[in-house]
Amino acid sequence: MTSVLLIEDDDRIRLSLTLALEDEGYTAHAAATAEQGLAEQRRVGADTVLVDLMLPGMDGFECIRELRRGDDVPIVVISARDDTHDIVAALEAGADDYLVKPVAVKELAARLRALRRRARVATAPLRTLTFGDLELRPDAGEVRLHGAEVPVTRTEFRLLCELAEHPGQVLSRQQLLQRVWGYDIGDERLVDVHVGRVRHKIEDVPGKPRHLVTVRGLGYKLQP
Amino acid sequence: MRRAGLRTRVSAAFAVGALALSACVTIVSYELTRSTLFQERERTAVRTAYFDAAAVDSSLTAGDTNVADVLGALDAGADRYVLVQRAGRWYSRSAETGAQAAVPQSLRELAARGEAGAQRIRRDREPALAIAVPLGGDTVFYEIVSQRELERTLQVLALVLAAVAIMMAAGGAAVGWYVTRSALRPLGAVAGAARGIAEGDLGTRLDPATEPDLAPLAASFNHMADELARRLQRDRRFAADVSHELRSPLQTLAAAVSVVDRRRDGLDERSAAAVGLIVDEVARFQELVADLLELARSDQPVQREPTDVVALAERVVRAHGVAPEIVVDGPREWLVDARRVEQALGNLIENAIRYGGGPVAVRLGKGFLEVDDAGPGVPEGLRATIFDRFVRGPAAGARGAGDGTGLGLAIVAEHAAAHGGSATVTERPGGGARFRLELP
Repeated sequence: MTSVLLIEDDDRIRLSLTLALEDEGYTAHAAATAEQGLAEQRRVGADTVLVDLMLPGMDGFECIRELRRGDDVPIVVISARDDTHDIVAALEAGADDYLVKPVAVKELAARLRALRRRARVATAPLRTLTFGDLELRPDAGEVRLHGAEVPVTRTEFRLLCELAEHPGQVLSRQQLLQRVWGYDIGDERLVDVHVGRVRHKIEDVPGKPRHLVTVRGLGYKLQP
Repeated sequence: MRRAGLRTRVSAAFAVGALALSACVTIVSYELTRSTLFQERERTAVRTAYFDAAAVDSSLTAGDTNVADVLGALDAGADRYVLVQRAGRWYSRSAETGAQAAVPQSLRELAARGEAGAQRIRRDREPALAIAVPLGGDTVFYEIVSQRELERTLQVLALVLAAVAIMMAAGGAAVGWYVTRSALRPLGAVAGAARGIAEGDLGTRLDPATEPDLAPLAASFNHMADELARRLQRDRRFAADVSHELRSPLQTLAAAVSVVDRRRDGLDERSAAAVGLIVDEVARFQELVADLLELARSDQPVQREPTDVVALAERVVRAHGVAPEIVVDGPREWLVDARRVEQALGNLIENAIRYGGGPVAVRLGKGFLEVDDAGPGVPEGLRATIFDRFVRGPAAGARGAGDGTGLGLAIVAEHAAAHGGSATVTERPGGGARFRLELP
């Protein structure tokens, strides 16, 4: 059974979401603060973490960064804030997806399923894909730059694999949203921020990308 | 009538002022010159007349009885006519017969009383001076001096002075135009700053130091901009607070309702019906809050980017589970705010599904998109207000379970307006409604 950790300071939301997630078949763990949440995650190692942004003490952004430090666990933000700044900041901190409250339980379950599917697809056996000094090993879930392994999250890895499976071909943001996140209609900022994060890991000069390039008005492509 | 512009008015005032001033100077100088010249001429003419009178008198006294010969001996130029009235008879030089008609009656009476005199007259439509010098006995010597040349000189002078006055007026207008241009230049900066603020750049301020005379204007403009920014900031914070305060309890409701909803089968009939109502209303409340918050921030500037609208339209219709014909008549790529266009099109399609029996066609033209349905259409009287908030057509009927928030089309109109366009509804040829979204 898959487990979910919910870090949410509002008692009523925490309780109701815990009940609803258990109804959906998840093992739900809950924490009221970021500190408790980090400790709980170390203890139970949930498959997915749901985080609110406005938390007492350590805030959600810091909490995401802390989680990311040692883990590639999928992180989904559930926040009442829908400012572009907040969304981008949360994604840049390392979140995989962003949902604005109120989230319908069906929608939340669909997002969690999509994240699980991605985690599974990423472990499917595939040959090694090479783009100049960049190497992708889908079977091992590894990315190597100049021969050295680069730590990437599952979502970042999935994004790279999607682009790598279509070498030199432009994939639109919507195509990537659909293939990587499983969205029919989604927020293109998800793609942009993830591309930015990936560039920081696989490009020598992230400001002047050589491998993962933007095709203005169309989307992104991966090239040697 | 449209009021003339400031520059035109100031220039006109300058022109009128310059004209009045130069006209005064011109008239005074003309009058002074004229009277001086006339007096000078008249003095000379009178002196000459006395001289001539003395010559005639001496000739007549010497016994020369042929008056005409005596007059003919006088050295009179073309502009001088000499006459003698002796015992009621007029004598003149042979070439100047009839000249006595020009002598005015008052001058004759004056001379008859034995007094010398001079009077300005007009002869042959020319100014002249008639001078009477009574000689001894029954004899009076008259001399008529034409002032034709003097008048011609004065005419030329008047012409020159009028030309100068007109040039002064034109010069005044030019100075006014130039002066207002430099005076209005700082206002151009103000207009630019105001435009910047209107376009959403709330950081625009004027530098009071650049134009010391306009410092109060710059100060009050900056104060206005500060105030505006503060209010917008407050509104935005309020919207953010409201959204947070509304969304948090809604999240609890949504999650808790789903838990109850799952167990609806185990409830008795009345409880199940009540739970059904709560589920529907919570869902509608969620939509309402989302739509209200969308409207609250719809005045933010659009973020235009190249967008493949055909792909966008295909995506939106797929997401709504409908398959209208998509007609493309123009470029695929538009420079629009994709998020807003996607939402506007989604709302139009939802509207068509809800009230028009589903969309039958989506047309993508040059800078506009249209959604057609084959429903009952929108009555003429409702077409103007249908884009207002919380307006529902009669097609909506009683507010039942399938009813929307009443904000969908208002959001469409806001997104169109944010792009500088408009949203309209017309009749679709063949029945139904045609919603049109102009996105310039």
